[in-house]
Amino acid sequence: MRRRKKPIDVPPKYILLALTILCVILMVVSLFFDGLSSSLKGITGAIITPMQKGVNSIGTYVEKKVDAFRNYEDVVAENNDLKEQLQSYQSEIKQYQQDSYELNRLKNLYELDSKYPDYKKTVARVIAKDSGNWFDVFYIDKGTDDGVVVGCNVLFGNGLCGIVTDAGTDYAQIRAIIDDTSNVNAMVLPAEAICDVSGSLTNYEDGYLIAENIDKDAEIEEGDEVVTSYVSSKYLAGFTIGYISKIEYDSNNLTKRAYIIPATDFSNIEEVLVVLQTKKNVTD
Amino acid sequence: MKRIIVLGILIIICFVLQTSLLPLIEIANINPNLLLILTVSFGLMRGRMEGMFVGFFCGFLYDIYFGFIIGPYMLIYMLIGYCNGFFHRLYQVDDILLPVIIMIFDDFLFNFSTYLIFFLMRNRLDFVKYLKHIVIPDMFYTAILTVVVFKFFVFVNKTLKKFEKGME
Repeated sequence: MRRRKKPIDVPPKYILLALTILCVILMVVSLFFDGLSSSLKGITGAIITPMQKGVNSIGTYVEKKVDAFRNYEDVVAENNDLKEQLQSYQSEIKQYQQDSYELNRLKNLYELDSKYPDYKKTVARVIAKDSGNWFDVFYIDKGTDDGVVVGCNVLFGNGLCGIVTDAGTDYAQIRAIIDDTSNVNAMVLPAEAICDVSGSLTNYEDGYLIAENIDKDAEIEEGDEVVTSYVSSKYLAGFTIGYISKIEYDSNNLTKRAYIIPATDFSNIEEVLVVLQTKKNVTD
Repeated sequence: MKRIIVLGILIIICFVLQTSLLPLIEIANINPNLLLILTVSFGLMRGRMEGMFVGFFCGFLYDIYFGFIIGPYMLIYMLIGYCNGFFHRLYQVDDILLPVIIMIFDDFLFNFSTYLIFFLMRNRLDFVKYLKHIVIPDMFYTAILTVVVFKFFVFVNKTLKKFEKGME
C-alpha cells in the first residue's frame, strides 16, 4: 500500500479527520463573517479572473469560427437577399428619420411624465458561469472599479436578469432570477397586484418562473406583464420580468399563483447591462 | 515538491476550464464536472492521501467562487477523493472501465449530496424530477468526458513518476 517513504508518517485517516474539522470550522466562520469569503476570493481572484477572461475570449472566438464555417453557404445566399432588402430599407430609413424627429420630441414629453427614472447603466461581459448544474450564478468582468456594487440590478435583453451578490475590484458575481434561491418582489401590471416571483429549477426546465402569493381577488389575466415592484427592497421598480401564461388557485383558496414566461432568454447570456444605482441610493 | 506544483497548476487549469470553457459546450444545459474527474483520477491513481488533498483544494476553489459559505463542497470533494483512494489497489494503468464506473457512481453521490444539502433542506422534495433533468444527464456527460480526460491525467502521472525516479 505505502509506495515510498514519506517525510511525515501520519495515517491518512487522521489527516482526513483534521481536514474535515477544518472544513466545519470554515463553514461556521464563513457563515458568521462575510468578509472571509471575499478576502479569500480577492487573493485567488487576482490569479484566476484574468485566466477566465482569456480562456473565455478564446472559447467564444472558436465557437464563432466553427459556427461561421458551418453556415457559410447559407450566409452567401442570405447575403444576396439582404443586399436587395437593403436597397428598399434605405429608402424607408429616410422616412423613418423624419418620423423619429417627431418621436424624439414626444419622447421628451413622455419622459417628463414617466413613472421610472432613467438609470445609469454599464455594459459588462460574462466571463464565468457556475459549472454545476444546480445554480444559475455567473461572473462579469466589471467590479467596484466601474461602480458595480453588491445589490446592483442586472438587465439583459429587455428584462430583468439578476442581481449582483458579490463584487470585487474587477469582477462581480450575479445571481440570475431563475436561480432556485432567487426571490423577487414583483407586481402584475395593469392590476398592480403584488406577488413574489421565485426561481425554481424544476419549473425553469419547463420554461416558467412562478409568481406566488397573488391575492385571490386580484384581476389578472394571461398575458399580463410582471414587473419589479415598488415595495421590493433590492430591485428597482419597473423592470420587466416576464408575462403571465397560466394562472392557478392555491389549495388554501386565499391566493393565486401564476406561471410566468421570462422576458429574458437565459440560455445565452453574453453581455449584460448593470444598473449602477441600487435601491438604497434611490430612497435616500 | 514538483508534484505539488504540477497538481496545483492542474487544479487551477481545470477550474478555469470548467467555469469558462465548458459552459460553451454544454448539452441540454448540463456541464460535466471536470473538477470531480480530477479528484477521482488522482484518488484512484495515487491513493487516499492525494485524492483527499486534490479534492480539498478543488472544493475550496469551487466554494469561494460559487458557494454560499466555504466548506460544503470542500467536504464533498474531499470525502469523494479519500474514498476513491480505497480503489487504488484495484487500479491498473491501462484500465479505463474501472475509472468510468467509479466516476458514474461518484457523480451520482456528488449530485445527490448537493441535492441533500442545498435543496432538500429547503423543502424541494421532488427528487425524481431533479434526477431526470440533472443528475442522470450529468452522470453520462461526465462519464464520457472521463474517457477522454483520464488518459491525459494518466500521462501527467506517469511523467511525474519518471521525474521523481530521476531525482532519487
